[in-house]
Amino acid sequence: MFKDLDPILHSQLRLSIVSILMSVDEANFTFIKEETQATSGNLSIQIKKLQEAGYIKVKKTFKNNYPNTSLSITRKGMVAFENYVNDLKNYINPK
Amino acid sequence: MEKSELTPEQSLLLISKTIEDTKERFKEHGGIFIFWGSLTVLVFGSQLIFSLLELYQFTMLPIYLFPLGAILTGLYVWREYRRHNIPRTIIGNVLQNIGWVVGMNLMIMGFLFSDVLGDAMGPVFIILLALMIIVSGLSIRFKPLTIGGALANLIGLGSFFFERDYHGISLMVAAVVGMIIPGIMLNIARRKTDV
Repeated sequence: MFKDLDPILHSQLRLSIVSILMSVDEANFTFIKEETQATSGNLSIQIKKLQEAGYIKVKKTFKNNYPNTSLSITRKGMVAFENYVNDLKNYINPK
Repeated sequence: MEKSELTPEQSLLLISKTIEDTKERFKEHGGIFIFWGSLTVLVFGSQLIFSLLELYQFTMLPIYLFPLGAILTGLYVWREYRRHNIPRTIIGNVLQNIGWVVGMNLMIMGFLFSDVLGDAMGPVFIILLALMIIVSGLSIRFKPLTIGGALANLIGLGSFFFERDYHGISLMVAAVVGMIIPGIMLNIARRKTDV
């Protein structure tokens, strides 16, 4: 139906992840899980898709001997998000 | 969160709601402003009392509370970020860095260059403090903090017209107007949005 919209971003969970990352410098997996209330499995899959598209950067480290996954948006992700928002606006208010 | 086809309206709503909710999670709170305002009043109030009691050998002692305050603030911020799993924001990072840079400069000026600065020390101290408060107020879009900072700035400039003996009082007034009152108001505003 909305075929011109970026299919990577036009998904509820992926859009939420990118929206969160647009408002922070960096966020870890637990924070995003709490904010989106998604399951770990689903979140991991969507993060992988965003990473493969080059929209987000995933950094895996250890914090107090526990694995810590930090996510941040890339320049490509920012541009894609801005384009997506502009496309949405055009759909709602076509010129 | 379920997978579903979003309409453009739903997408825009989701974006704005997610961004707002995220920002709400790490909204600045007034604790640090209240702490530094109170510390400033305590330090310069003690200095004033020592001077009035003619115990001049102790007047420099309260100043050492500032480095201690800096250490406590650092530990507090580090603990809060860890405990509440708060992500770093660009504004948060900018404010934190400005705070450290201005704070360190104020301490260096106070400890090493107070003789060089002479009568200008107090007003310069207040103006730098006001600068930090105004930038914080504008960044987090909290008017009482911006107004408090602007008033502190005026107090700083006005202090040039007074003798050095009164600069301690100016500093205390600037701390109350610029940090303690806006800090309390910020906490009240935060509590209201948390309900």
